[in-house]
Amino acid sequence: MGLLEDKGRARLFYKYLSTVYDRINPFVWDERMRAEALDWLDPAAGDRVLDVGCGTGFGTEGLLERTDDVHALDQSVHQMEKAFAKFGTRDRVKFYRGDAERLPFADDTFDAVWSSGSIEYWPHPVAGLREIRRVAKPGATVLVVGPDYPNSRLLQRLADAIMLFYDAEEADRMFEEAGYETYEHHIQQAKPGSPKAITTVATVPDR
Amino acid sequence: MKESLLDIICCPLDKHDLELEVEDREDGEVLEGTLTCTDCGETYPIEDGIPNLLPPDMREEAPA
Repeated sequence: MGLLEDKGRARLFYKYLSTVYDRINPFVWDERMRAEALDWLDPAAGDRVLDVGCGTGFGTEGLLERTDDVHALDQSVHQMEKAFAKFGTRDRVKFYRGDAERLPFADDTFDAVWSSGSIEYWPHPVAGLREIRRVAKPGATVLVVGPDYPNSRLLQRLADAIMLFYDAEEADRMFEEAGYETYEHHIQQAKPGSPKAITTVATVPDR
Repeated sequence: MKESLLDIICCPLDKHDLELEVEDREDGEVLEGTLTCTDCGETYPIEDGIPNLLPPDMREEAPA
């Protein structure tokens, strides 16, 4: 497809977009799909979990049902303000502003890493996936939800222009390049006809 | 942020440790302060208790 490596415009576009809209969600992500994904990630109580690109905190909320050590990072404080309103800034969630492609965490920090609805905005998704692998402990599970390549002409045009959409084959390529050896993809869909999400569950290899 | 998070956070650029300077603290939470990379010297602010660990080239983004 060759469209993944040239996403420099995405950030600029998103910067403009965030002043107009909250965030375009190219797939529909509901509580049922979140519960299914949480079962795949399967964090143990007390696990230290990172939510990369937490946005308004929908994924974060699910993680809190499983463990009380949740760390959440986003580039935009505007997005996170909705998460602050839900969880407060101090008690339940440790919040950080940061870049998914240059994570501000030490190696081998997290027992599990979650990222939903964020990768489509990363200019260099492989760099982000590599960073997630670095901050997760060997053997940890990583779960990434992104938009599957769409059928609709309008979304295809958006996909090819500024946003990252990927099918299972492209996801294989990205995860391999980022250094993962074991992973599987699940296609999730809220209901027939709605845009599909592609959810990858990967294991962090030993160093 | 809690001071204990210094154990896990690092400079997003070179991944070295950060040093904390506290300007305002309340009930064990650092509300305002500065994190400085012990290697490259880059500084990262703590704003309303949230560490802003965006690399400097992304920091200018104004909240909408």
